[in-house]
Amino acid sequence: MKLINEYKANPKKLILPVLVAALLVLLGLSPNFTKPYATIMLGTIMMYIILSLSWNMFSGATGYVSLATAAFFGVGVYVSAFFGSSLSLPLLMLMGGIFSFVIAFLVGAVTLRLRGVYFTIFTLGIVKLLEQLMLYLEITFNKTRGRFVVSYTFTEVFYWLFILMILVILLSVFIKRTRFGLALKCIAEGEDAAMHIGIGSTMVKILAFAISSFAMGAAGAAMATRWTYIDPYIAFSTNLSFLPVLMVIFGGGRHVFGPLIGAVVFAYIQELLITDFPYVYMLAFGVIMIVSIIFMPNGIVGVIENIVGRIKKAKGGRKNADP
Amino acid sequence: MKKKSVLALILAVLAVFMLLSACAKSETGAPQDGQTPDAGESKIDPNKETIVFGGSRSISGVYAFFEQSAYGPIYKMWVDEVNADGGLYVEEYGKKMPIELKVYDDTSDLSTMTRMLEKAIVEDNVDFILPPVSTAFLYAAAPIANKYGKVLMGAEGGSATLKESIAQYPYFFSSLNFSDTQVPALVDILKEEDIKSAYIVFIEDLHGTEYSGAAIPALANAGIDVKGVKSVPADIQDMTSIINDAISTGADAFLCMTYPDQGYLALNQSISMNYNPKIWFMGSGGGFSSIVDIFGNDVVEGIMSWGAWNTKSSEACKDYFDRFYARYKDDPNVSYDYWGLVHYYAGLQCVQEAIEKTGTLDNAKVRDYLANNHFTTVLGDTWFENNMIAPECFMGNVGQWQNGIFEVIDRSSKATSDPIVPKPEWPAA
Amino acid sequence: MLTTLINVLSSGLIMGGVYAIISMGLSMQYGVARILNVSHGEFIMLGAFLCFTLVRSHVHPILSMLLCVPVMFVIGFVLHRTIYKKLSDVSGSTAAFESNSMLVSFGLMFVVQNVALLLWGSEQKGYTFLMRSVKILGSPIALNRLLVLVFAVAISFAFYIFLERSRLGKAIRAVSQDPSAARLLGVRRTRVAAICFGIGAILAGCAGALITMINQINTSMGMNYTIIAIIVVVLGGMGSIPGSLLGGFILGFIGTVVNYIDPSLSLVAYYLIIIVLLLVKPSGLMGGKS
Repeated sequence: MKLINEYKANPKKLILPVLVAALLVLLGLSPNFTKPYATIMLGTIMMYIILSLSWNMFSGATGYVSLATAAFFGVGVYVSAFFGSSLSLPLLMLMGGIFSFVIAFLVGAVTLRLRGVYFTIFTLGIVKLLEQLMLYLEITFNKTRGRFVVSYTFTEVFYWLFILMILVILLSVFIKRTRFGLALKCIAEGEDAAMHIGIGSTMVKILAFAISSFAMGAAGAAMATRWTYIDPYIAFSTNLSFLPVLMVIFGGGRHVFGPLIGAVVFAYIQELLITDFPYVYMLAFGVIMIVSIIFMPNGIVGVIENIVGRIKKAKGGRKNADP
Repeated sequence: MKKKSVLALILAVLAVFMLLSACAKSETGAPQDGQTPDAGESKIDPNKETIVFGGSRSISGVYAFFEQSAYGPIYKMWVDEVNADGGLYVEEYGKKMPIELKVYDDTSDLSTMTRMLEKAIVEDNVDFILPPVSTAFLYAAAPIANKYGKVLMGAEGGSATLKESIAQYPYFFSSLNFSDTQVPALVDILKEEDIKSAYIVFIEDLHGTEYSGAAIPALANAGIDVKGVKSVPADIQDMTSIINDAISTGADAFLCMTYPDQGYLALNQSISMNYNPKIWFMGSGGGFSSIVDIFGNDVVEGIMSWGAWNTKSSEACKDYFDRFYARYKDDPNVSYDYWGLVHYYAGLQCVQEAIEKTGTLDNAKVRDYLANNHFTTVLGDTWFENNMIAPECFMGNVGQWQNGIFEVIDRSSKATSDPIVPKPEWPAA
Repeated sequence: MLTTLINVLSSGLIMGGVYAIISMGLSMQYGVARILNVSHGEFIMLGAFLCFTLVRSHVHPILSMLLCVPVMFVIGFVLHRTIYKKLSDVSGSTAAFESNSMLVSFGLMFVVQNVALLLWGSEQKGYTFLMRSVKILGSPIALNRLLVLVFAVAISFAFYIFLERSRLGKAIRAVSQDPSAARLLGVRRTRVAAICFGIGAILAGCAGALITMINQINTSMGMNYTIIAIIVVVLGGMGSIPGSLLGGFILGFIGTVVNYIDPSLSLVAYYLIIIVLLLVKPSGLMGGKS
């Protein structure tokens, strides 16, 4: 109710939600009118969006840089590998999400004391430990390394990822607007201070970590069905830990839609380089990364904010000069 | 307030732009007649000039050496040879058509590989696909190739365990020999040379578990005592403890069923510690020319490995090697692999012959022809049994370095030399 | 029993020496320049390939290693003066600089790896060096590995003494312990940081050169060494040089013991150690407050 009144008072605030909604509808219908590869590509982009938004939900808000994304993604992948033949895709995603949630909750509960770079290294350690443990178990008990995963068509995966992405977007907006989001922000600005003003910093932190991991696990379960064959190195690829962080920084983490933009632009550049310049892909990718971090430390959103600010200033200036 | 909404607007416009451009980009490469990828039945377009071979290869990343030094140089040479001849004659087009390559980089990442492979198939509408690198990637590509009805002639990787699942993927062919023929051949040699005991090291993956899994019971059946079995992770840094253990067991044969990374490390440390068993066997990598580049001919003398072929195997092999050498002798990144080199090339020759004999680019017909006919390749008479190259076609299964040549030492008519057992002492450093 | 013990001891010492020298540079770069350099392994790879290239043109391996030193320093120093200095100008806080610089190093990793791939290809490379053994109490120990141990320890001590005794070393320690106080004393922080980054690159280069003497190399080997270095640095305490030395040897011994029991568990053991240690004592064995 409060929200509606707010929008009535200022209809311009509606522009973004309406535009995003329209865009999402367009995206949701896209498999019907685009070429098959566009659907495949959009599926991948949505995976990146889900990962970077959910990463930003916890790490962006609290300032705890987590590299555990690949761990939770990998848990989802293995859920699909183990139960793919007996469960449907949405159930697999749900299960992948729940498994990740539980693991993240436990991990979160024991890592509370760690801050800064120690937390980051710890989360990377979790990824590598799960990878090596899985490898050991597979080799020792299964006498092989990889597994075939039941395969779904790219349109099916597209729609389920689409639904997941909408959920993650809504959740991001919701968290940002509620007391929960405020609590997370307080943690970022000073954990001790947050504790003093009565925010149960511990529980909030663990919960945010677990919620963001749910989406990662669900995305992993969905993507595994597109990969058809997986092994521990593939499931727990550290690429998936670093990429979401880069995408968020690239897009700008302060705005809710920054990670989204970052993921889209990032995936697009990557695709362009892989297909058109395969022999210097890594070189170009690395240079772009370095340059973008140096020259736009606040991401694409930061650049846009700057431009907008300048336009407004120019406008304001003219108004003042007018009379 | 105002600033925020303007920002929002710009963000949204940017997002729309990116998404639309992503869609638009994929439309430009798509065919105009609106054919679906799964239809398989392509209309004959008289204006079509080239046969497109495309797919995803690991140009960068950890698997890049496959593309740089294994299958990469081979398929490129094959394409140039075919094109120098004017191309392949395709009857349904009534002309010779040169081959055009369209290769993407998957950065050694499986998820990128599956996407790029599907891009090549559904967007670029390639006529034939190239296999991706490594066993895991091949396994992931098999269901995709099958879904779209594209012949997938495997190159690097694969395994004997495929036999169980290959029936599900009729479009997947494998051109390499694996443990099911190689391990028995090795055990025969050991038995004949009166080897009493063996020590096994294997790499923790499909390759290692398959070969050790086949070797342990086979050795036991042959009455050879397996004195120790150790599995090693891919990134092992130190194998001295394993070598020490092997020394203490006093096994006659040291069987190191790993990849080059671990095999070369084990070799380095064996020499350093003067561990010289009667048989020193290295898995994948032991028959590559890079082992000679690194250690020199004196050191590798007597080392055995999987394979195998050499220029003495046949006239065709000699001719093929000479062409390959002439083309790549100045490229330091190309190594000569006395296991897969002929097999990969033979796979391409089979596809070539199948296209020319069937006179079509229709993958379904080419697949049927491949599955049911004999071909003349660098291996001689070549054919597939259950989509895997028939054991009779192999030039050999086990080789041994003798005077700088990787000799085929199987107990068969294709052997080019007799095994030297025990292997000579390591040269003085 | 005795031979096994000697084997474990010698292997552990040798691996420990290698691990120590791999990680000291990383520890230093983090301790002073505040950069968690995830491209550290790529610098090790670079040093290894520089050394390999020299050896292939008939330069002695040890001389090659010495020749790597100035080259690596220049690379590290220039990188810091250009990229990281600019980055520190645009980053608002130390925390922002820490996360930004880690991501820049990540980009650097891609760049160095791709350049190396274009220069040297992706095949296994290597040469043979001192592949003989000496008997110590009846067990054979490879001479090349023994030499590497000697060099690793010698370089570590030389480095430690440099930090303790020289003026520059004192300035470096001052910056790492209390940046703001160091500035008051007239130490030019960014310059010291750049020199440290260069020294980190030297240590990485030497580590790479030493690795070529005992193992084969390829252009994608960097990441594994980065991870080992991170484990050692966390084990010893971020930024602590003696800590890295100690951490390296501890990890070397644990790795060797696990190798004897079941080699396939060695990496599991490493990650387990780092996770447990972070939970129990996040500041590492020799670290101060976390």
